[in-house]
Amino acid sequence: VGNLGLNSKEQRSLLLVALLVSHMLLTKEGVTSLPICPNGSVNCQLSLEELFDRAVKLSHYIHFLSSEMFNEFDERYAQGRGFIAKAVNSCHTASLTTPEDKEQAQQIHHEDLLNLILGVLRSWNDPLIHLASEVQRIKEAPETILWKAVEIEEQNKRLLEGMEKIVGRVHSGEVENDIYTPWDGLPSLQLADEDSRLFAFYNLLHCLRRDSHKIDNYLKVLKCRLIHDNNC
Amino acid sequence: MDLRHVLFTLALICANDSLSASDDILQWPQISKCRSPEMETFSCFWTAGNFYNLTVPRILQLLYKKSNEEDWKECPDYITSGQNSCYFNASYTSVWTPYCVQLASKNEVYDKKCFSVDEIVLPDPPVHLNWTLLNTSQTGIHGDIQVRWDPPPTADVRKGWITLEYELQYKEVNETKWKELKPRLSTMVPLYSLKTARDYEIRIRSRQRTSEKFGEFSEILYVSFSQIGIGCDHCMEEVEFPWFLVVVFGVCGLAVTVISIMLSKQPRLKMLIFPPVPVPKIKGIDPDLLKKGKLDEVNSILACHDSYKAQLYCDDLWVEFIELDIEDPEEKNRASDTDRLLSEDDLKSHSCLGTKDDDSGRASCCEPDIPETDFSASDTCDATSDSDQFKKATEKEEDLLCLERQDNDESLPNLANTDPQHQCRNTQSENNNVWAPFEDSIESPHLSVHTQISNQNSLTSTDFYAQVSDITPAGRVVLSPGQKSKLGRAQREGCTEQNFTMDNTYFCEADVKKCIAVTTHEENEPHVQEQGYNEDGYFTAESLTTTVANLGAPTAAVPSSEMPVADYTSIHIVQSPQGLVLNATALPVPDKEFNVSCGYVSTDQLNKIMP
Repeated sequence: VGNLGLNSKEQRSLLLVALLVSHMLLTKEGVTSLPICPNGSVNCQLSLEELFDRAVKLSHYIHFLSSEMFNEFDERYAQGRGFIAKAVNSCHTASLTTPEDKEQAQQIHHEDLLNLILGVLRSWNDPLIHLASEVQRIKEAPETILWKAVEIEEQNKRLLEGMEKIVGRVHSGEVENDIYTPWDGLPSLQLADEDSRLFAFYNLLHCLRRDSHKIDNYLKVLKCRLIHDNNC
Repeated sequence: MDLRHVLFTLALICANDSLSASDDILQWPQISKCRSPEMETFSCFWTAGNFYNLTVPRILQLLYKKSNEEDWKECPDYITSGQNSCYFNASYTSVWTPYCVQLASKNEVYDKKCFSVDEIVLPDPPVHLNWTLLNTSQTGIHGDIQVRWDPPPTADVRKGWITLEYELQYKEVNETKWKELKPRLSTMVPLYSLKTARDYEIRIRSRQRTSEKFGEFSEILYVSFSQIGIGCDHCMEEVEFPWFLVVVFGVCGLAVTVISIMLSKQPRLKMLIFPPVPVPKIKGIDPDLLKKGKLDEVNSILACHDSYKAQLYCDDLWVEFIELDIEDPEEKNRASDTDRLLSEDDLKSHSCLGTKDDDSGRASCCEPDIPETDFSASDTCDATSDSDQFKKATEKEEDLLCLERQDNDESLPNLANTDPQHQCRNTQSENNNVWAPFEDSIESPHLSVHTQISNQNSLTSTDFYAQVSDITPAGRVVLSPGQKSKLGRAQREGCTEQNFTMDNTYFCEADVKKCIAVTTHEENEPHVQEQGYNEDGYFTAESLTTTVANLGAPTAAVPSSEMPVADYTSIHIVQSPQGLVLNATALPVPDKEFNVSCGYVSTDQLNKIMP
């Protein structure tokens, strides 16, 4: 057994440190980003506020990336091809009935809204994976687009995990996981004709931008409603 | 319908014609923009174009369609947003749904646009701008303020439906350019270090957080410190940091410091600040040599810099040349006595620029070369060799002249001062025969050189001169013996006797010189007289050229290297293509003991003499 041999002064400082740490743990005033959660501890959890903060940050980041990616793609490939006129296509997530204005967003129950968010995120899992791989086959694709596609796919996964955690916290009963839309756009991304293929990418990126904006908005509404009581 | 079409078209054409003279351009009706201020409603605006009033009034309609619908519907509200606008209230607005609107008149579609509402969000400007004073500086010249505002009332930020960020711009009242702050989410921002004596203007605009376009600017907020009583009317105008003065004084101080260091007598300080830059140097080379351009000297010095560093112009090397080895089998292959003699000095020294022959003994203490000379294979390393060769040539020429010379009783001019009593008797026909023995004689042991010199020394001081008698077309310089002042008669006898025998014969250089001198004088008196070199005691080449030529072809054809020349004559000055001044080199005067028969000393005797 080690003979620490601490003198009284060192003992006092050690005690002080211990007190400080425990105070911090108890009040959690200094904790903003990293949780002080030792592994295996059951009681150590992030607060709902913390979870929502992270989720909103992620969703904002994803929307920012997809917006930029769409703009870059538009600049690089879509000019002069007349894509804009045709871009009123529906996205594959259109079948999910999501709130389309503020009224509807105010009225929907937060659990339903959370489920919807989860459903949209899950529906985008598959397309994002294929987007990341297929965009590399575009002739002379800029490095930034390639990088963003991979990044979005990664962040989407993380957001999905976070949302599932939130849903687990918020839901009182069982979690319903049946909201999901399959994506069948992969063949269009692999068309031989370059114009058609690029148009398919254009549509997909347009839909991604829209849906990421939707998710971002819903989460902010939910955060303001649940955490700040409609007083952001 | 068709009629109206035709009328319409005619009207257009007329309008075109009538307008062509004016500056107006026909403009079609077009949708200028569609905008949603808060993502709950949106409006579309258009321009009517300028043919509207000229023809039958057309009623423009805005039709819209959602993506999942089939029919075009007409705008629900043409009034709320003003003229030429269409307002879609919240019930008609679906945010993430694609819309298409088109501007039409009856069946004529003028413009079409497709969008979704989340893409056209441009918020209203913030409202209720105000500012408060945070603090002022101690001098009262500067102050910090905090600016606050409220988000646009239409945007529902509290419920999180829309997230806005704001950009603040400010400037002094009389400036033209606005200063911008970074966009931020909060609705308050501090402004630091404003001048209390000046008034400021502030304006703010907002945008949706993920968009790029900003909405309109808010109303301008005026900031005036004097209103709240802290305007500093009596303050001095602030002085900006006097950069100019700092720079000027800094430069002056630095210059003064540098100059003082340079002028200071403290070597240490100087070394510290201005360390001496190592200048490329070659040991033994005086940089002044390079400056003066005496490349010959430098070349010779470079050749010897390995050893004789200190002795640039020593005169004592003559001494070291006496290391004779008669038994050396290589001797006979030498081209000249001189070479053989000098080759012994390999032991002593110094390679002369890597010359191939072992004549490198000559060395070092070198006097400038004469680059043009081409006496033999031996190189330019030093003058001694050349001088030797000169002497060789001279000797040869002496022989030749001596051989060729007919009996001659004519008196010599003052120059020669010789007593041409002995006349080499020989016929030209013997010339060729003579050459062979001469060559042989040349190749025989070397020591003759020294003995000659010593002998000559004893006889006369001018025997060391050898002049260039001719410059062959090949560029070789033919030396002939210098003018002879006084020669012992006893030695003159050797002229006919000595020369033409076999090997190992030596002849008095002096005698030979006399012969030549006599010859030349006889034959070229006018030339001789013309030359004022009497005092110098030598003939220029001119005087001898014709002489030499007259002596016959063989003479001219003889390469100078085959003629025995008085050795150890150093070239002092190259005066012209026609003349060389040769220095006499003093040798230790031999002991009178030694038996001088015609001035030659045997090797043993020589070894006794020399140290």
